[in-house]
Amino acid sequence: MSRPKQMTRAVIVGHKSILKETIDALHDTNLFHVEDFVEDESGFKISKPFKNAEEVSKKLVKIRSIANYLGIESKKPVVQKSDAVLRELDSKLNELDRTISAKTESISQLENELKDMDTQKKEVLPYLPIDLDFDYFRGYENIKVFAGILKSNLEASQISSITQAYELYFDPQSKAVVLFVANNDADKVYELLQGLGFKELRVPERGGVPSELLRSIEQKEADVTRRIESLKGEIESLKTKYADFILASDEVLSIESQKAELPLRIATSENAFIIDGWTPTESYDRLVSVVNNATNGRAYITNLEVREEEEENAPVEYNNSKAVAPMQQIMDLYARPKYFEIDPSSAIFITFPLIYGMILGDIGYALILGAMALAIKKAIKSDAVADMMNILIYCQIWTIFFGLIYGEFLGFPLASTHEEQGLLPFWHTVTLFQSIGGEAFTFPIHRAHMVMSMIILSVVVGLIHLNLGYVFGFTNVAREHGMKHALLEKGSWMIIELGVLIAAIGYVGISALMYVGAAVFVIGIVMLAMGEGIAGIVELPSLMGNALSYARIIAVGLSSIYIASTVNDISFSMIWADHSKIGFAAIAAIIVFILGHALNVALSIIAPGLHALRLQYVEFFGKFYEGGGRKFNPFGYIRKYTEE
Amino acid sequence: MVDGATANLFLDAAGAKAIGASIAIALTGIASAIAEKDIGTAAIGAMAENEGLFGKGLILTVIPETIVIFGLVVALLINSA
Repeated sequence: MSRPKQMTRAVIVGHKSILKETIDALHDTNLFHVEDFVEDESGFKISKPFKNAEEVSKKLVKIRSIANYLGIESKKPVVQKSDAVLRELDSKLNELDRTISAKTESISQLENELKDMDTQKKEVLPYLPIDLDFDYFRGYENIKVFAGILKSNLEASQISSITQAYELYFDPQSKAVVLFVANNDADKVYELLQGLGFKELRVPERGGVPSELLRSIEQKEADVTRRIESLKGEIESLKTKYADFILASDEVLSIESQKAELPLRIATSENAFIIDGWTPTESYDRLVSVVNNATNGRAYITNLEVREEEEENAPVEYNNSKAVAPMQQIMDLYARPKYFEIDPSSAIFITFPLIYGMILGDIGYALILGAMALAIKKAIKSDAVADMMNILIYCQIWTIFFGLIYGEFLGFPLASTHEEQGLLPFWHTVTLFQSIGGEAFTFPIHRAHMVMSMIILSVVVGLIHLNLGYVFGFTNVAREHGMKHALLEKGSWMIIELGVLIAAIGYVGISALMYVGAAVFVIGIVMLAMGEGIAGIVELPSLMGNALSYARIIAVGLSSIYIASTVNDISFSMIWADHSKIGFAAIAAIIVFILGHALNVALSIIAPGLHALRLQYVEFFGKFYEGGGRKFNPFGYIRKYTEE
Repeated sequence: MVDGATANLFLDAAGAKAIGASIAIALTGIASAIAEKDIGTAAIGAMAENEGLFGKGLILTVIPETIVIFGLVVALLINSA
């Protein structure tokens, strides 16, 4: 249990001549959350960006469009000196821009050529069956040429009935036709052809036999495609050559542009500037010394007293140890805590993996998932992924712990029960005591054999979890509105629970306690009505719903066991069916075994994870959490590819 | 008319329990499905606008799952009674 980092509101004032130094210093420390200045009647105005801003952002756009075009992704950083990058930036950027645009231009030219050739090919193709040189098609004074396609067949006799002066080429299969007739007869012949559904086709302008033309076009096509491929390869090699440079210069330019545009967010008069913002209280002294060093003490820094209504608006930075830090991802998924709220990261650091482990509770799956998480963490260098994998690893530690308690390995019982042999011959189930509904409470716990006890156990875990939520809520309300409110709003719930508990003990044993319990219960309800009014009473049944909701711990766990043991049953019955020789059944059994457990491994991330998460968000957070804090977003940049 | 003896022929104690348990599971399962359907559709719509809402959408979608868990608990209670 911790609270977000305490924040100090700081104001930096100075002469405009030292604005640049101040901004550089603030950017380097990466500790100051700048509050945007809103123009009012005070006479201060927002300033203009630095002179180089336009140039920097132009270059930034260029470099990002190049990076986008080349498909450059962030990767393991090669750290470069930022001033060296800046020195080379202009020449390299121009060179890169030139080569890429030259290459893309020739690629688009070549692609146009390809399109042209495609149309040429389409023109030639219909004439292929006739295979007559295209030069013969034109240049006559007294002869008319009909070239095209017919719908139905054409017999030579049909033309000879009109005229004897003709030359006919006709391919009955494709119905391509080329017909030479004297000009005098052309009209009649045209009528005949129209009757047969004649469609004129363009005659290619080049001379030559169609089959040869086609071959040469195809050859050229292959040639052009090859050239395009090689150009694309060259662009690809540019990508590997310049990737480091592009990533580094993107970073350097981003930093420059952030610095150049900060004046747009601060208040300035003719000669002075004011930067207003927040810094973690622990870092305030460092901020002061860094700014003083950069400006030779000419900037004036002071911390302002924070009024209560301003405090609500303070940016929120988590204050967690390194081990707990991954849980902040889970918190941010829901909502960042408010500044004055308890940050429950350290609570869910324990409860989330614990409930996950209680649900899954299988040594085999824990080992598989743990190994997977470690491998992914090694392979993908990304902070977000690393955090997620760390959470998964925490979960697996608890899963192994509960796996030992449940004695389960890939759905097999490790210890023997009364009727059947377990995987480990020396491990026998011990009966500890008789519990609810005639079920024997044993170690290891066979979940499928003692469902009722497990349901009650899960609900008890849930009640503990819920009451932790009430305690958090209590401290939140006590801090904000005082002890009396806290007692009425959150304490009343705990008193109601206490009343029910006493009454339950009375019901089982000492009957006098039943009246005491009822009295405590009524006191709790009166307090609740005073604290939250009628709305609190209406919500009373939800307490039971919340507690019963924890029964999912056993319910989801059972579903995982049943899937696993079904897979085991199927594959083992296949192997034992014919164990005289290793045949098809044995191989199929292995495939069923692997695929079935792979499916269950995937489900083992999703189902317990989601349900454990839900118990945190809905049942636990509902008791105390508000959320909706503003993220602490310091002015600065975390360098990955460059250094000063 | 069906007298007690004939009814017993069709419904012995174990059978009645099994039917009761199955009704508990089936109806709560359908109820969760209907609720999750609506939430899921809305969540996908929200995700189309803003992909960052995936986490919230996923969690909202499993919230009605409690209904079927209650059904499961009731079924287990019936079975062990």
